[in-house]
Amino acid sequence: MLRIRGGKVFDPANGINGEIRDICIDGDRIVADVNGGKDIDATGMIVFPGGVDVHTHVAGGAINFARAMTPEDHRRTQAFMRSQSRRSGLGGMAPTTFATGYLYAGMGFTTVNEAAVPVLSARHTHEELNDVPIVDKSCLVLMANNEIMMNLMEAGDFERAKHVVAWYLNAAKAYGIKAVNPGGVAAWKWGKDAKELSSPIAGFNSLTPGDIIQQLSRIVDELKLPHPLHLHCNNLGAPGNISTTLETMKHLEGNRVHMAHLQYHAYGGDGWDTMCSESAQLAEYFNAHPHMTCDAGAVLFGDTVTITADGPWQHLLYKLTGRKWGNLDVENETGCGIVPYTYKPSNLVNAVQWAVGLELLLLINDPWRVFLTTDHPNGACFWRYPEIIQLLMSAEFRNECMAKLPAKIKSRITLPEINREYTLYEIATIISAGPARALGHRQKGNLGVGKDADVVIYNEDHDIARMFGHPRYVIKAGEIVIDDGDIRETPQGREFMVQPAFDPATEEFLQPLFEDCYTMSFENYPVELERIENPEVQECGKVSSDLEQS
Amino acid sequence: MYWGGNPAECHPRHFTKYALMPKSKFLPRGRKDRTMVLVDIRETKSVNASDIFLQVRPGKDFELITILRALLKEQHVGDAQIAETGLTRDVLVDLLERMKVAKFGAIFFGMGLSMTRGKHMNSAALLTLAAELNAFTKFVAMPMRGHGNVTGADVIMRWQTGYPFGISFNRGYSRYNPGEFSTVDVLVRGDTDCAFIIGADPGATMPQPAIDHLRRIPTIVLDPHVTHTSRLAKVHITTAPAGIAAPGTAYRMDEIPLPLRPAIDSPYPSDEQVIRRIRALIDQKPDWMSKSPQRVLSQV
Amino acid sequence: MIKLTLKRQPTVPLEAEVLSPDVLCNMPHADICAATIYHGKRQCRLDEFFDVDGQGSPDLELHGDLSKVRWIGRSASRGTIKIHGNVGMHLGAYMSGGTIEVHGDASDWIGAEMRGGLIRVHGDAGGQVGAGYRGSLKGMRGGTIVIDGTAGLEVGLRMRRGTIVVGGVARDFAGLQMKGGTICLLGGAEIRTGAWMNRGTIISLKPLQLMPTFNRAASYNPTFINVYSKYLATLGVVLPYDPSQGEFVRYTGDTAVPGRGEIFVWQPHPS
Repeated sequence: MLRIRGGKVFDPANGINGEIRDICIDGDRIVADVNGGKDIDATGMIVFPGGVDVHTHVAGGAINFARAMTPEDHRRTQAFMRSQSRRSGLGGMAPTTFATGYLYAGMGFTTVNEAAVPVLSARHTHEELNDVPIVDKSCLVLMANNEIMMNLMEAGDFERAKHVVAWYLNAAKAYGIKAVNPGGVAAWKWGKDAKELSSPIAGFNSLTPGDIIQQLSRIVDELKLPHPLHLHCNNLGAPGNISTTLETMKHLEGNRVHMAHLQYHAYGGDGWDTMCSESAQLAEYFNAHPHMTCDAGAVLFGDTVTITADGPWQHLLYKLTGRKWGNLDVENETGCGIVPYTYKPSNLVNAVQWAVGLELLLLINDPWRVFLTTDHPNGACFWRYPEIIQLLMSAEFRNECMAKLPAKIKSRITLPEINREYTLYEIATIISAGPARALGHRQKGNLGVGKDADVVIYNEDHDIARMFGHPRYVIKAGEIVIDDGDIRETPQGREFMVQPAFDPATEEFLQPLFEDCYTMSFENYPVELERIENPEVQECGKVSSDLEQS
Repeated sequence: MYWGGNPAECHPRHFTKYALMPKSKFLPRGRKDRTMVLVDIRETKSVNASDIFLQVRPGKDFELITILRALLKEQHVGDAQIAETGLTRDVLVDLLERMKVAKFGAIFFGMGLSMTRGKHMNSAALLTLAAELNAFTKFVAMPMRGHGNVTGADVIMRWQTGYPFGISFNRGYSRYNPGEFSTVDVLVRGDTDCAFIIGADPGATMPQPAIDHLRRIPTIVLDPHVTHTSRLAKVHITTAPAGIAAPGTAYRMDEIPLPLRPAIDSPYPSDEQVIRRIRALIDQKPDWMSKSPQRVLSQV
Repeated sequence: MIKLTLKRQPTVPLEAEVLSPDVLCNMPHADICAATIYHGKRQCRLDEFFDVDGQGSPDLELHGDLSKVRWIGRSASRGTIKIHGNVGMHLGAYMSGGTIEVHGDASDWIGAEMRGGLIRVHGDAGGQVGAGYRGSLKGMRGGTIVIDGTAGLEVGLRMRRGTIVVGGVARDFAGLQMKGGTICLLGGAEIRTGAWMNRGTIISLKPLQLMPTFNRAASYNPTFINVYSKYLATLGVVLPYDPSQGEFVRYTGDTAVPGRGEIFVWQPHPS
């Protein structure tokens, strides 16, 4: 039993905005009151629900490839020493699994969502997630470039496609569906890309990226998955891609959707030298369409490694940087490219990207619909979130940073005209309550009675980045895991998944197709539930109306 | 394209199941829709399966690949220089043309490339060539690994430590330096005072100084069989063979994980069980490490 | 001066990055004795392995067979280290100034990723002299390394600036992926010298077996070699060539990159 006494509580899920009150914990849940037990004096401190990362890449074949590609970064980065109770690890651009848990917990995040898992290597992702301590986890499975699915969608066999998706979710032990550059990754196997929403995809007669996203978002809604379709749009990172992004959003009217790393999809101009921000236009459309949520995918200057299923984009980036490049093709399902990259303030394109991420966070007016991410590790590493919080909370600091950018930037961005400063209440919304609701995690991002006891306590500090980077206490499932910078406990978190029902005939349909085009036998494909530590199956259909609550 | 490998004898399923025979939507005629090039220093059984066999002079792989890279960029290379690799300009021009017009090229390289003079640089050369070919068409390259779950060890070391192999934990966190920390170098230099060997037989394959050192120090072997290494070890523990009598996961060469389901029972414990028991006993010993909380420090 | 004598052979490698003028120069004797070194995984005091004489000086003198002692002079920026005996890996890695002199043989990774200063080895050296560590895009970025004897694989791997002189034969891949700087091979090299080089200069006084992707450009006696020769003479290194006895053949490459590196190979006039 634990009582957090006298802290200033920010709990947007329950409308609590900076009230001084006690938070009581019994076991792994928040309760109304406790008698006895431990007491934390949080007088003068700030209490948040544990952070939730809606979109990150921390486990699986791609990030693991990135680890192998960047030994020079591991050598210069923060090292975690082994001790009697803890494993060693390395931080940096692509942290090792144990370090990932320590670093997330170390800045008060207690739930993370791994956003891109091919079914074929889901077993690998789960093995890695088992080695990420402290935080609760979930993962999204890639569907938009799966050849079996694409054939079904081209044939217009919607019902069967829906059952196949349900089967895949069960097989991968995943929590939701992710679509990456629909059709584009499949086209990359022909060395091509899919940039137009209404043009047929290479290797198909009539199927277009637009068909894929419409059908997948309908499938997700009909299966009543807790998290809407998680969409990485076509034409990522390219100048002028705002038209593709708006087109995509129009295709999805009437369906729920989560738009991932929107920063990479909000550019105007028609080439690298004319690239500019179109975040105002994007935010205007977004603000008027409440069925959507998004995350920022903000960029910070510095070294990172970019990892995305968007293979064609990564090959372009490799040609632009002339540095290292890794490419993975995952049979019929997807692929992935990996390129180390340095965002430089002196580079006009990078400077625009930096501004666009912040602009979106500032121009989208409902904090329940825009979440803090960097698309780790693509825009920046997740452990740099506190720097973004500082940029959001202080217009003065933003202006200081902007002064260091090339003068030419002024005409290309709208950031200098924005004076908005986030409040602590809004920060608590975009890093915890909002992403928890978008993910359909009713137990998370919420300090109400009966919810999971994931709590962060910060020392109030005028240095915002320091405050959010070094919480005084982090409590995960009722246990104090971080105490003044020390990792005290490293409990094993839970892993969330959904298991929607499907027609038993689906397997009979899939098996012959599978044996035709996969190199693995059908029986070996699904991940057994026993292989996952602390699995927790969330029911479908229970949380579909959550968005309307906001 | 296979380079420095003999899949017909060493990876017998590779042709039939993965690379040559399978029929698919875009390659409906299977083998007939593919072109297979074999590059090796001698004629092996794999030659029969190939459309084109290029016999490179031993020790000239790196030079040959570098010439291909230069020709790909339309740079001048002299005939005499090409001849030193054992091949002619016409052959190389034809090869590059085929590579450039292929719809999807894949290069698999074996230990004939990666374990001969030049070692990692030979592999690096081929990987670079494949990357550069992507300016023309889709091309990939992948190593043909040895037997056992080599890839699995790589993959897990990477997610736990950040590095695939050649790792030292001496300083309390992982450090990487192949040549300094890789097993064979550590043993040859005599840099270790104990060896714990699981599912490998260095006593059969490593150079004599390494074997001599294994004999000098306490060597512990976990293996289903009594191996050369067992004979020079202080302790041999017989374990159940993984995949036959012990469950687990193996990673295929392309890093796809496959579940292992035991077919038979074994009276012996699995490697995992043995290690867990050793670990539990070590935990009971007095700790030599400091008990201070986790420290974060700058690396050495 | 601080004099350290190895009094007991370590059974496993000893990591002693404290043996650097920057660390020891302001320490009283007692602190030097208590300085931390690592014997395998165990932390121990410097005086468990060394007799310590002197204090508070930027000049170190090391005696004994230090071939298992690694990281001596790591990140040194000043002072001198004189080693009488063989020395282990990573000598002078990341150093930016000062002088290290070895009267004996050195191991791999001498002066890896160094930025300045001088390393002088009177015996033989191992591989990766002045190299960049695995995965790193930049090797040595300044300073000078002189080896009187032979050197191992990948001398000057990915080096950007600075000078490396090898008196004896260098093994394969000298100047691999070089992007600048100069390597003088007085005793020639085995194969693949200058492979994948982008820029930079390799000078060899003995015939080389070059990569097929190098093209012969000219033969002459470039004046800059005289300048180098004079600079090396200040370090006590004689570049034993006489322009009246022959000339250099200049090759450029590596065309596979494609690069603009140059290799000068000495060709004596037929006698």
